[in-house]
Amino acid sequence: MSNETANRRPVGRSGIASALIPGLGQVLLGERYRGVGILLGFLVMLGTVVWYKDPLWYAAPILIWLWNIWDAVSLAGGKARSILLPVVIGLAAAYGIGWQVVGIDFGNADLNRAAAILRPMAHPDFVQPRQEHNAMWVNIQVPCSPEPPLARREDAGKVATVLPDCGPVGETLIVNISGMWPNTETEIVWRTPIGDPKMVGEGEAQMLVATTDGTGSLTTTLRVPTTALVAAPDPTLPQFHRVYFDQYRAIGGIELSYVGNEVLKGALATVSMALLATGLAMIFAIPLSFLAAHNLMSGNPITYAIYVAVRTLFNILRSIESLIIAIVFVVIVGLGPFAGMLALAVHSVAALGKLYSEVIEGIDEGPIEAVRATGANWLQTVRYAVIPQIVPPFTAFTIYRWDINVRSATIIGFVGGGGIGFLLVELLRVNDMRGVSAAFIAIAVVVIVLDYFSAKLRERLV
Amino acid sequence: MLRIQNVSKTYPNGTQALKNVSFDIKEGEFMVVIGLSGSGKSTLLRCINRLIDPTEGKILWDDVDVTAAPPAELRQIRRKIGMVFQQFNLVKRSSVMMNVLSGRLGYVNPWTSLIGLWPADEKKRAIEALTRVGIADKAAERADALSGGQQQRVGIARALMQEPKIILADEPVASLDPVLSHSILQYLEQLNKEGITVICSLHFLDLVHRYATRVVALKDGVKVFEGSAQEIDRAKFKEIYGEEAQEVRAASM
Repeated sequence: MSNETANRRPVGRSGIASALIPGLGQVLLGERYRGVGILLGFLVMLGTVVWYKDPLWYAAPILIWLWNIWDAVSLAGGKARSILLPVVIGLAAAYGIGWQVVGIDFGNADLNRAAAILRPMAHPDFVQPRQEHNAMWVNIQVPCSPEPPLARREDAGKVATVLPDCGPVGETLIVNISGMWPNTETEIVWRTPIGDPKMVGEGEAQMLVATTDGTGSLTTTLRVPTTALVAAPDPTLPQFHRVYFDQYRAIGGIELSYVGNEVLKGALATVSMALLATGLAMIFAIPLSFLAAHNLMSGNPITYAIYVAVRTLFNILRSIESLIIAIVFVVIVGLGPFAGMLALAVHSVAALGKLYSEVIEGIDEGPIEAVRATGANWLQTVRYAVIPQIVPPFTAFTIYRWDINVRSATIIGFVGGGGIGFLLVELLRVNDMRGVSAAFIAIAVVVIVLDYFSAKLRERLV
Repeated sequence: MLRIQNVSKTYPNGTQALKNVSFDIKEGEFMVVIGLSGSGKSTLLRCINRLIDPTEGKILWDDVDVTAAPPAELRQIRRKIGMVFQQFNLVKRSSVMMNVLSGRLGYVNPWTSLIGLWPADEKKRAIEALTRVGIADKAAERADALSGGQQQRVGIARALMQEPKIILADEPVASLDPVLSHSILQYLEQLNKEGITVICSLHFLDLVHRYATRVVALKDGVKVFEGSAQEIDRAKFKEIYGEEAQEVRAASM
């Protein structure tokens, strides 16, 4: 009880001490760590709000200061206060400031923009209905020469004509075609001499579509597009443009779309890029890992120096993200999966080398001793006591690395490393969200499938 | 007859594990080596098949100098000396069969063994060895799937593959419970009765009394006792293991 009376006396003093310097009262009462902790916490809080210059947050250090006086007074009475309160105050201020610094602003969110991106993504561009194509074209001279040739072409029973045979920009033309599929929508497109397609429908912004009659003929009018000559070196020079007629009809079944095919090619390139990189890395990592194994190399100063050098090399290479290495290799060998493969291989040599060397360091000496004791020679000892111990974990780590490399290869594609990542960036640039969606799905499927099988395989090996 | 003559071993770090140890082991003996952990028992056993090279002294086996044998001859000597270890020293990831077969490496063609080819009669011999220790049904399992007692029996089967004249057993039962200790030592006793010399390090006094035909005691690398098992009484045991040592009694079966 005398203890309590002794503690009660400095109540006022410790409160004043903590009011002057936060934590001082606690220190005077013998709670040195508590006092220093309070002082540091207070200073960090104060420094943050002073730097951030938002008067609202001055409340936080003031509240902590008040709590600290209360704590000092309570402590003098023999009872410490829970630090939960100042921690909550500090976290509230930190999150509040963080919110403002990060610039969280839902006002900028635009659901229409989100919908414009997400709606096409709901229909990934993988497959399309299988269809056959029936095409025909006819030459037409723009502008007119003194004696224009007949604008008429026959091919495989199909006949296409244009009247008149030539015309300046804006001239109305009558086009006629026969011998096409009957009762079928036909897309009519203008192509300049260099192959540029021009739409000749409403306002030159829509495709002109007409339907053939029961005999496979159709007649319609169109105007020579206003932009027909923009790319012409000399607009007065007569040149042959073409009018194309395209019919499509479903023949049942589905096939890979162009983008879907590209996505599959990209996914295959990414997986093989990772596979080759892992294989190449393994070839270099196996011998290096023995040089990086402490138990083998610590015998004498020379081997120890090699050990330190190899370890340092591993650590440096491992600390450089393969994305950065890829940028270097893109410059050296050019865009494409080869650059990505080399980058992954360099990074993987270090990562695998370290894992392998740890396997070697963790090897059980007992079986080596036992096999030597049977009269086995050196090679037999390695074959029967060392290899069985290291091959399964080496294989497991290699599969795991391949798994990681497939994921890295996707990202490396973003900087020109080829594969599906590169395709994804291209699709994003042309705003082909259906293609982007297909690429996302392919990446997810590849990663999930590989993850599952690599985990299963590793389970069996270890 | 195995003669150990003035054997000393000093490790590179300066530890002197054996100091001028000499004694003879006659053929067919069950020689037990006792002493505290670190008294040099393991080093002594490993000097006999030269897993560790003694720094000084000689070991003669039927007048052949083991300590001076060149590598090829040493392998010939080693294959006649089976060894059983405290930690069993099996390759955990390999099958029981593979572990037992590895005991035969000193006999078979080294090149075919490297690619993992084993003659059918060697496989038959391995199954026979496993049958002797009662675990032929475990041949296909991974070594680490077996219990401690079963793993030590695999260790004995591996030693049997060597058709040994001597078996060195380095604390073969120290990692096992007392009931299993007897079952393992009975296998060694059986082999001993068939004419194999057994040199075994042990800790428990009643196991020493039960199995040893002769005892050598080491203390700090020095031989402090040599004689029959009966001559070791509690007083002597305390002297070897130090005054503060309390004997832990193994359950008798």
